[in-house]
Amino acid sequence: MRNNLLTVCLLVFAQVLVCNYLSLSPYLTLSILPVILFALPTKYGTVATLFIAFAMGLAVDFMAEGWLGLNIVALLPVAALKRALCEALFGDEIIEREESFSFEKYGLGKIIFGIIVCQALFLFIYVWADGSSAYPLSFSATRWLVSSVAGVLVSIPLANMITKEDR
Amino acid sequence: MASRQKIFNSLYSLTIFIIMEIVALNIMYRSGNGQEFFLTKFSQPFVKAFWGLSQGIGDYFSLKGINEDLAKENFALLTALTAAGVDTTAAREGVGAQSAIIEKFRYTRASVVKISTNKHHNYLILDKGARDSITARSGVITPFGVVGIIDTVSNGYAFARSFQNHNFNLSVRIGKEGTTGPLSWNGKSGAVLRDISLHFPFRIGDTVYTSGLSTIFPPDIPLGIIKEDRISNGSTREFDVDLFQDYSSIRFVTVVSNTEREEILDLERKEAGR
Repeated sequence: MRNNLLTVCLLVFAQVLVCNYLSLSPYLTLSILPVILFALPTKYGTVATLFIAFAMGLAVDFMAEGWLGLNIVALLPVAALKRALCEALFGDEIIEREESFSFEKYGLGKIIFGIIVCQALFLFIYVWADGSSAYPLSFSATRWLVSSVAGVLVSIPLANMITKEDR
Repeated sequence: MASRQKIFNSLYSLTIFIIMEIVALNIMYRSGNGQEFFLTKFSQPFVKAFWGLSQGIGDYFSLKGINEDLAKENFALLTALTAAGVDTTAAREGVGAQSAIIEKFRYTRASVVKISTNKHHNYLILDKGARDSITARSGVITPFGVVGIIDTVSNGYAFARSFQNHNFNLSVRIGKEGTTGPLSWNGKSGAVLRDISLHFPFRIGDTVYTSGLSTIFPPDIPLGIIKEDRISNGSTREFDVDLFQDYSSIRFVTVVSNTEREEILDLERKEAGR
């Protein structure tokens, strides 16, 4: 699948459907937005990635969340760190070539680590903003952990799918 | 030179990030506080068009259950009215009316266009708006309890904060003449009633009603029953409350507006200004 605007739009729509129709547990918040950002080619600079993150977050908030701004607030830090994270994990080469990562070239371990960082950061802010004052710490911590694990498990095949034709 | 360019780019990105984060936080703050936020208002027709079809399909398949609920409710109401010796002829003539004013509250029936139940800040969108005399800060109820409060109104739709939302506290009373306290959602399917005096006598299974102390909801709407109690901070008691309302099956609601609300608020403002 080509990593283009249409793919991003389709995945954001999938996220809207997940937010609206998938309700398994109050402990589970499933989001694929962090991996969409992470898998964007590095030809998009940090500022462009920030704008894409803002648009994606607003679209999901607008069509699904009811509390506008929640996804945007959580997604912007992921966008801000994305380039630096790619540079740290995959080296300067990926930035210079303005490409996306691939599982064959960079290996499963580095990509999974990147996905974990993105998911954990996104969900930490999301869970904290969404109800840290209303819930006990144990609830928020469990929610963050369960959601992060589920998010990473869903994100790995998704990242592979998004970057498939870029190999 | 290259490193200077890199530093400049980093600072530029950081500035954009901070500005966007402030904008996002502002959106979140205004949306979460239920103000008449233009984005929320703007989203209502869009959400109606987008989700109306799937809601319609869901409604179609749940019609049998809804009809059964309505038949039970009608039976209970007619039995209560007959037992009280009330002539129901006038009420039967009013069948089909969109709204009615009883005492100081105006009741308007509405359908749910969209309702969220799987989030921590749940909401619902109703198919009635300003042209049906719906105003912000009106209550949303069903025969089984309180559903929400209207936050924003456009011409044809109303956006309501659900009771299953952490920014929602409801003033309730234990029993019809008991003590009052704030009831809030517990994050799952029940609710928590807080700040009840340790000296207040109660029994597990007591019914919790709206207190009528706010200008939004009429008094004595049954909400649920007390399931468990515990002492909080050594000074007050907390109760777990089993709610009567199943939020996943709501299709029709009643919007209740206090016709004297403005007068009461005016009085409060005058008192505050003294």
